[in-house]
Amino acid sequence: MGRRFIRAVKKYYVAYLFILVPVLSTVIFLFIPMISSLIFSFCDWSGIQPPRFVGLANYRKLILGDPKFIKAFVNTTVFVILGQGSGPIFGLLSALALNQKIKLRAGFRTVYFLPYMTSMVVVATVWKMLYSESGLINAVLGGLGLSTTRWLMNPRTALLAIIVTSVWQGFGFETVIFLAALQAIPRELYEVAMIDGANAWHRFWHVTLPSLRPVIVMIYIIGIIGSYQVFDQIYVMTGGGPLYSTLSIVGHLFGNFTYMKFGYASAIAYVLFAILAVFSYLQMKLFGREE
Amino acid sequence: MEISHIRVLKWLGRTALYLGLITTSVVMLVPFYWMVSTSLKMEADVFASPPQWIPHPATFVHYVEVWTGGLPFARFFFNSVFVAAMTTLSNAFFATLAGYAFAKLKFPGRNQIFFVLLLTLMVPFQVNLIPLYKLMDIFKWLDTYWALIVPGATSIFGIYLMRQYILSIPDELLDSARVDGSSEFGIFWQIVAPLSLPGVATLAIFTFVGSWTNFLWPMIVTSSMDMRTLPVGIALLQEYHTVSWTQTMAGSTIAAMPMILIFLLMQQQFIEGLTAGAVKQ
Repeated sequence: MGRRFIRAVKKYYVAYLFILVPVLSTVIFLFIPMISSLIFSFCDWSGIQPPRFVGLANYRKLILGDPKFIKAFVNTTVFVILGQGSGPIFGLLSALALNQKIKLRAGFRTVYFLPYMTSMVVVATVWKMLYSESGLINAVLGGLGLSTTRWLMNPRTALLAIIVTSVWQGFGFETVIFLAALQAIPRELYEVAMIDGANAWHRFWHVTLPSLRPVIVMIYIIGIIGSYQVFDQIYVMTGGGPLYSTLSIVGHLFGNFTYMKFGYASAIAYVLFAILAVFSYLQMKLFGREE
Repeated sequence: MEISHIRVLKWLGRTALYLGLITTSVVMLVPFYWMVSTSLKMEADVFASPPQWIPHPATFVHYVEVWTGGLPFARFFFNSVFVAAMTTLSNAFFATLAGYAFAKLKFPGRNQIFFVLLLTLMVPFQVNLIPLYKLMDIFKWLDTYWALIVPGATSIFGIYLMRQYILSIPDELLDSARVDGSSEFGIFWQIVAPLSLPGVATLAIFTFVGSWTNFLWPMIVTSSMDMRTLPVGIALLQEYHTVSWTQTMAGSTIAAMPMILIFLLMQQQFIEGLTAGAVKQ
């Protein structure tokens, strides 16, 4: 075994050298932290004294003794459902529109995509100003005779306002992906459908939608995984308030981190991991099938 | 009669189509316009009623303030550029090198190692956040460029991307160089790297944008103003009441413009890279 190993290393050392840095980096910055995090999640640890093993106490507290975590979980799930319930549909609609014979297609696509190129912190900062009491949105609504509110200060509207901003920022990505997928559908499929006398609606339902299915699934999985990790825009726009109405799972994790509750924060991270693992597993299976 | 009927319907449909597209464009552009126009307004005009669409009088003074005045935006900008550039260079090099090994070299454990690396793509970054922070503390890297650059200096996604790209390079090309006596690194540097340039460009754009817009990690590992990147600086400066909306918007414009320019210049490359993985032809 030892000798064979040495011979293999001699013969293949160049290849091992080529992958050495990424592999080492993955071990140091990913595997070790990941396992440490799991261990910390079973410990009471404030970073000063050594970690103390407490078994499942952190996880029990998460589910039974921490209304803020439940709130964060519900908020994040609402964020995912409303955001993913609207963003990809807007993306698909604009892609369908841009797939028609229209002038300035590339121009429209560029405009829709611009927010996606912009740092979420910048986007959130601009929208925070737009949402403010005497900001542009209230000025326009007031001008139209509609009711106004302090969008980000009102517990009933703050989460919704953040969802609107997030959809605005992200749907250009979905537009670009759907547009490319639409353009990859073979023309012949539509020609055959036309010969069979299918009208526009039938063609959409029986040709376009089935062809898009893998892309739709991918968009949703990526979107759900990303949305469950929402943090940046909330940190900037509301900091989780008012009355925890916009507190997210990662926000709660970050809050516990800043209070040096490292064990408890690690447990939150692993619960998030478990939620995302379900969707990642689906993604792996679907991507694996395509390969 | 019938034909003109259809023509009217068609005209209505196209009008609705353009109306929808243009309305959406307005909704997309107004926040950007408002960011730039606010940065050019006098402080008193920011929340003027009715809203002031065209800054009057317009002034560049806030750009001067955030760049050379009390606010360290020049430093934030430098940090963002430096960190993004280093991260991009390192990722491009190591991802191409490792991608080549995984695509074209044979060695025991190749597929197993690659599979385990791919599995790590499932792990959300937040899971590693606290131990990684502690690790930076142990290394004495907190509040230095090391913490901002090294943990993200290689990426599994990049290796995956480059491996896919390099798989399409014909083996004969590499074999003939081997017969001519080139070393493996010689083959990599003289044949594989130049042929992978389009793939490297795609990876570089994504890495640069990702680094430029990154927020949570740079916020956690930096503590002095001198080490903040643009997103962290913008987010934290809002908490100071001395910073006005006009200055914040000038800073935001400075942060947003480079990415928008990169996108406008390299749009084709960017969109091809984005859709290549998503849409199989």
